[in-house]
Amino acid sequence: MAKGFLPCGTYHQDYAHDHAWWQTRFVKGKMIFLAIGLFLIIPHLDSYYVGIVNMIGYTILGALGVDLLIGFTGQITLGHAAFMAVGAYTSALMVLEFPWPKIFIHLGLAYPLSILCGAVLAGLWSVLFGLPSAKVKGFYLILTTMAAQFVTVDFIITQYVARIGGRGQAFSLPPGTIKIGPWIIDSPTKVYYLMIILVLLCIGMVANLLRSKPGRAWMAIRDNDIAAETLGINIIFYKLLSFFVAGFIAGIAGAFWISNLAAISPEHFPWSWSLWLVGVILIGGTGSIQGTIFGSMFMVLVMEALQIGILPLADIYPQLLEKFLFVKESTFGLAICAFLIFEPNGLSYRWWQIKNYFNLWPFSY
Amino acid sequence: MAFVDEIKEGEELLKVDNIYMNFGKVSALAGVSCSVKKGSIHSIIGPNGAGKTVMMNCINGLYHPQQGSIIYKGEKINHLKPHHRAKLGISRTFQKIELFSGMTVLDNIRLGRHIHLKSGILSAAVYLGKTAREEIEHRRFIEEEIIDLLEIEHIRDKTVGMLPYGLQKRVELGRALALDPELLILDEPLAGLNLEEVEDMARFIIDVNEEKRWGVTCVFVEHDMGVVMDLSDDVTVLNFGEMIASGTPEEVQTNPEVVKAYLGAEDMYASRR
Ligand SMILES: Nc1ncnc2c1ncn2[C@@H]1O[C@H](COP(=O)(O)OP(=O)(O)OP(=O)(O)O)[C@@H](O)[C@H]1O
Ligand SMILES: [Mg+2]
Repeated sequence: MAKGFLPCGTYHQDYAHDHAWWQTRFVKGKMIFLAIGLFLIIPHLDSYYVGIVNMIGYTILGALGVDLLIGFTGQITLGHAAFMAVGAYTSALMVLEFPWPKIFIHLGLAYPLSILCGAVLAGLWSVLFGLPSAKVKGFYLILTTMAAQFVTVDFIITQYVARIGGRGQAFSLPPGTIKIGPWIIDSPTKVYYLMIILVLLCIGMVANLLRSKPGRAWMAIRDNDIAAETLGINIIFYKLLSFFVAGFIAGIAGAFWISNLAAISPEHFPWSWSLWLVGVILIGGTGSIQGTIFGSMFMVLVMEALQIGILPLADIYPQLLEKFLFVKESTFGLAICAFLIFEPNGLSYRWWQIKNYFNLWPFSY
Repeated sequence: MAFVDEIKEGEELLKVDNIYMNFGKVSALAGVSCSVKKGSIHSIIGPNGAGKTVMMNCINGLYHPQQGSIIYKGEKINHLKPHHRAKLGISRTFQKIELFSGMTVLDNIRLGRHIHLKSGILSAAVYLGKTAREEIEHRRFIEEEIIDLLEIEHIRDKTVGMLPYGLQKRVELGRALALDPELLILDEPLAGLNLEEVEDMARFIIDVNEEKRWGVTCVFVEHDMGVVMDLSDDVTVLNFGEMIASGTPEEVQTNPEVVKAYLGAEDMYASRR
């Protein structure tokens, strides 16, 4: 998408200024408000609402990697939940099974370290399933990424990993195991703080990559791979790098999510969740970080609203509640169709238009 | 690999040695050779379908000839991929514009700097120190060397796809120059331009070829005989995939084979001037 316009009467003084994220005082001011909202207001909301925000954050982390692959590198993926599962299971197994020296447990280092390991492992796992992208495009790549889902979750994790330790299908995470430094993550508010830090870090990382060499290479591959190659871009390397970073973030997402769960099982990472994440970026607008955020907010909030809206109706049509999954999935399908038809550039495009309208005001013609 | 580091003015920079390229039964190149001297403008001419673009694709690595060799700086580069050859200093523009049409002019040219950006992925992820400095340094290069040279200050933040054809051609040249190449392949850079634009473009090509700062060797594919005769030091003529003549512009112009190949297409290739 083209650059937004600066407010009337504002010009760049030097290149560093033109390269900065937040270029005007007004934007910096908005960011302060956002920070106040994120750190001072949301944590004090009712824990039901904080829980919803956590779900949004989890969706953002998942969708960010999907957008990196689909929206920025042009590599369609339908198996992202697999990499989230790899992160989650790596982290859970490390916390539960690894013979940590006492001092690590005491200092609360086990979980943070396991997030990092989960992320790296998920990244490498994603590269493994990204390898076919060196040879195939489009439809065939969709199939190989779907294979990631079925091989990883339905086969390796369900058949083998989930049986480690003989706990049966679900790994329960006893209270107190998820500990970062002196803090035990045991309430939605604490999960929220962890979430907001991880989301900000990941968004910052992706935004930085996108405005430097790797990000430009990804977009070049997406737009015209022949031209990209003649400019000296090693296409295979950058495609795999994109798979790695996407998997890395998925690993962080999965490892983060176990802090919000009492137990994990393969059912937390179904194929529909991979599909869902693609829907999120379609609705938010592909190839845009804001799009990922808006899409995640939209999807989670609409589903919550649906749930609340259906409760009173349930007295009249009890099936609605029993079949809620169907209601949810058809809404999801309808929402995607509606967006593809009426707003193909997604929510982020609307946002961009509104922003520019105000920036150019009063000379917005 | 043992590339010759310093090739002096007038010595052979690129040698295309007896290459054959077939697509199934179609023979696009049959035994084509040419020798491009450093610092020269070497034109490749020939009627439509003669195989000029195929030859450029062989030099730049998009196609791999079935026989013969491409020798750059004294080393055979047949097996190298395009991105590898770009790092060796071979850059190009396309007959059919291949810009990133959804990106801005500046981002297109920035992509041309790809091979010169040295900072790593971790550094890019935090965008502090090295990466930020490097981005500014290269931005300065782009602004001062390329945007200034090509006179495209006014469109730097415009989306490329929205620009008129002539400017797109100019941006593509800018992107190719951003690689700071030693060998620049120009596949019909003047096609579809109006007279004024042709003059500008020809001036840019002479600039980058003659100015000390650039000193770029050019392989130049063109139909406009007037421009070809004015600009080139050497000319190679192709017809139906075969090389029918090569030499200085004067020699080629009077070669009976060339006259025959061009006969009947007289008005098409007549100079625009
Ligand atoms: N990828 C390909 N597959 C099959 N045939 C090809 C391919 N590329 C080129 N050719 C054939 O090779 C021949 C030479 O084509 P080329 O594009 O090199 O001509 P040209 O000299 O560049 O002509 P023009 O002046 O029209 O650009 C043509 O007959 C063309 O059909
Ligand atoms: Mg051609």
